Amino acid sequence: MTMGRYLLHKLLSLLPVLLGITLAAFTLGVLSPGDPAELALSQGGYEPTAEQVAELERQLGLDAPYPVQYLRWVGRALSGDLGTSYRSRRPVAEELLRRLPVTLELAAWSITLACALGLFLGCAAVIGRGRWPDLLIQALTGLQLSFPAFWLGLLLILLFAETLGWLPTSGTGGAGHMLLPAVTLSSATAATAARLLRSTLLGELGKPYCTAAAARGITPARLVVRNALPNAAVPVAALLGNSLGGMLGGSVIVESIFALPGIGSYALEAIGGRDYPALQGYVLLTGLIYVGVTLLVDVVSMLLDPRVRLGGKHL
Amino acid sequence: MMKPTQRRSRLLALLLALALCLGLMGCAGGNAPGSSTPAPENSSPVPQEPADTVDPNAEIVLAGYRNLAPGEKDGYYCSKILYVWEPLVTQDGSAAPVPCLAESWEMSEDGTRWTFHLRRGVKFHDGGDFNADAVIANFDRMKLGVKSSSFYPLDIDAHYPNLTAYEKVDENTVRLTFSQPAPTQLYNMVNFGSAIYSPACFDEAGDFKGICAGTGPFCIAENKLDEYVLLERFEEYWGEPAKAKTIRVRVIPDADTRFSALKSGEILGVIDLNAIPAALAVELTGDERFALTTTKSTMIRFLTLSGTQAPFNDLRMRQAVSLALRRSEITDGLYYGFGTPTTNILNYATPFYKDIPVEEDLAKAKALAGEVLGDRRVTVTYLYNGAEAAQKGEAELIASWLGEIGIDCRLTPLEYAVMREQLKTGDYGIARMQQGLSNSEPSTIFRRFMLTGGDHNKNYSLGYRSDEVDALMERASSALDMEVRRECYDRIQEISAQELPVVPLFNDVTLMAYSTRLTGYEAKLYGIELPLVAWAQ
Repeated sequence: MTMGRYLLHKLLSLLPVLLGITLAAFTLGVLSPGDPAELALSQGGYEPTAEQVAELERQLGLDAPYPVQYLRWVGRALSGDLGTSYRSRRPVAEELLRRLPVTLELAAWSITLACALGLFLGCAAVIGRGRWPDLLIQALTGLQLSFPAFWLGLLLILLFAETLGWLPTSGTGGAGHMLLPAVTLSSATAATAARLLRSTLLGELGKPYCTAAAARGITPARLVVRNALPNAAVPVAALLGNSLGGMLGGSVIVESIFALPGIGSYALEAIGGRDYPALQGYVLLTGLIYVGVTLLVDVVSMLLDPRVRLGGKHL
Repeated sequence: MMKPTQRRSRLLALLLALALCLGLMGCAGGNAPGSSTPAPENSSPVPQEPADTVDPNAEIVLAGYRNLAPGEKDGYYCSKILYVWEPLVTQDGSAAPVPCLAESWEMSEDGTRWTFHLRRGVKFHDGGDFNADAVIANFDRMKLGVKSSSFYPLDIDAHYPNLTAYEKVDENTVRLTFSQPAPTQLYNMVNFGSAIYSPACFDEAGDFKGICAGTGPFCIAENKLDEYVLLERFEEYWGEPAKAKTIRVRVIPDADTRFSALKSGEILGVIDLNAIPAALAVELTGDERFALTTTKSTMIRFLTLSGTQAPFNDLRMRQAVSLALRRSEITDGLYYGFGTPTTNILNYATPFYKDIPVEEDLAKAKALAGEVLGDRRVTVTYLYNGAEAAQKGEAELIASWLGEIGIDCRLTPLEYAVMREQLKTGDYGIARMQQGLSNSEPSTIFRRFMLTGGDHNKNYSLGYRSDEVDALMERASSALDMEVRRECYDRIQEISAQELPVVPLFNDVTLMAYSTRLTGYEAKLYGIELPLVAWAQ
């Protein structure tokens, strides 16, 4: 299979996946108790009257049967119209596009941090294996994995913003604003990457090419970084790429804590308000991003590791 | 040995990954407030200069939990508390209607016609004149249909029930005509009920074309949705100009983050509903850098009891529940004193409120429950909003007290939307709810909870019915004499405390916190009086 055909195949397989996940999101939405019109009108503690609720249901088309509502949405989505949010009354596509850069920026910072920290900790643990750096790193990564993101975020705000005053607590505006949310979001991924790298590096170091390099008197650090790391990094790269989905999901809470107006906080509001068009738009967009990034990870993996082939042939 | 082509492939892959990360980081940078607009002068997290050196025109940064200016698609564009738009009629500290854009008014003898005399010399932010034509255009806009809002629905039928005509009498006078006498119409028109905008700022569908233009002491200079709204003093304001030159109101949804932002000096005050939880507010007491401001809130917290099934279809059981509660322990223990116990269904922020002593008597509660249950114990489901931490403690306290009168509670936290649906089915025992007062005319509250066909009576499965209340409401609605109306309302409140369509717990307190580097920061019934907020000298 050529690279072109492989990509085409992957892209075509996207359609049923996207249709399936939007249908699942819609079905779960309508199965959850809660009237979207009533919730939209009761923002801010106000209790709407039955007449007001009925009028809004009519305006939003919520008086139509569920299958009709879904098919209407699909019909519009095919022409690029993701519908109108029940709560904000704004086009969902416009809202998502306005918010997407914030989430992508957060995800990019998080992936970069996870990558840098994971590589550093993984290599350092192997270079100092069996000694205090290794033990310290294992303890640190254990701690990172056990901290819930929301709690870590609040602790970081307390320390670096409220107590030390080094960084802002929340909002957007540059690298300073992204640092704490990115550390919060990437912490568990960095720990997983560090542990995976440590394990794969140790596997590589047992192989003959590393033994031979060591026998020639190469320093342990050089052996790890120059010889073993390029081969050990391939699964770590795949892990980091695939963790993007987790980060998009995790950003829902992190964005809310750090007042970042991204698509995660939009999804959170949509769930609370039974805002089906907003929720389906979010699911569609994150599905597209996730599948796209998975595809990119596949390509990067193939480029990183020549042993990976498509259809038994070199690319 | 690695071949040159393999090296190139790896290098290419690494560069690709790096470029992707850098590209994503950069793609949002252009929209950052710091790059497109000057950074807020006092948004720095570092400790700020002493108050006596502050430039009086320096920007003041506040924060709330939600968008206070949701924008073009919102029926009001922004909240009243931003002082961008003004109503014809506003309210004083006791929630009584007082003039704003309408300077004076009179009601016809039969109560079906209201004539409003408009303030002269008032300009909209876009330079347009405020006059009868502008008011009529705003009524035309309302007539287009209900517009949803983050605050209150913009609904002409809710604010102007039985309105049959609105007309311009002269350049500065408008007249409203109703099919039924409307002696308390002014209460319906307070604030959100009579918001006025420049006719040039909305389109034929009644949607705002851009930033709204009101007549208030502040105009909106910039509105970055979900991030902040920047207010600037309107120099041509008809009244006393705002003290602050610019105020930025940020959106910080998380209460803990808002608190940290306040403590770090990043913001100087919190506003709006749920500005600061009581548990965090008490941490600021004793710290001279901060102060708290409180006033009555229009929110009341109560328990609904499923009156369509046993045991709460029996009045004695509802009374037993109310008598067994120790409300002041809830307000003092869980809300640090920021709440006022009540058994009156009507919120205390309206001038029609009747102060009814709160009766709590465990012995009497036991006797009443004993009459119904005998030696039996009954288990009921107690629903509460799982997203509100304080409600859990509250539920545990109440369950322990009800245990003493033979009611065992199965505590069930639910998402709010799910809880509302459950209430409609009546398949519950007790549920913790709250109700805001949309205006200080109490008939809406009585109608919804206490009339046989009231929507809350049905939706919460209260099963309440009182012929006396139905008759009193009928009498009040046709009474032109305010004293007659007041008598009716007083009696209905007494009945509510005796027959308990719901079991009131406490009236909320509006609680806000601010830095002592500001002056004029005083909680009002609805928000703070923003035009009075300024840097302390």
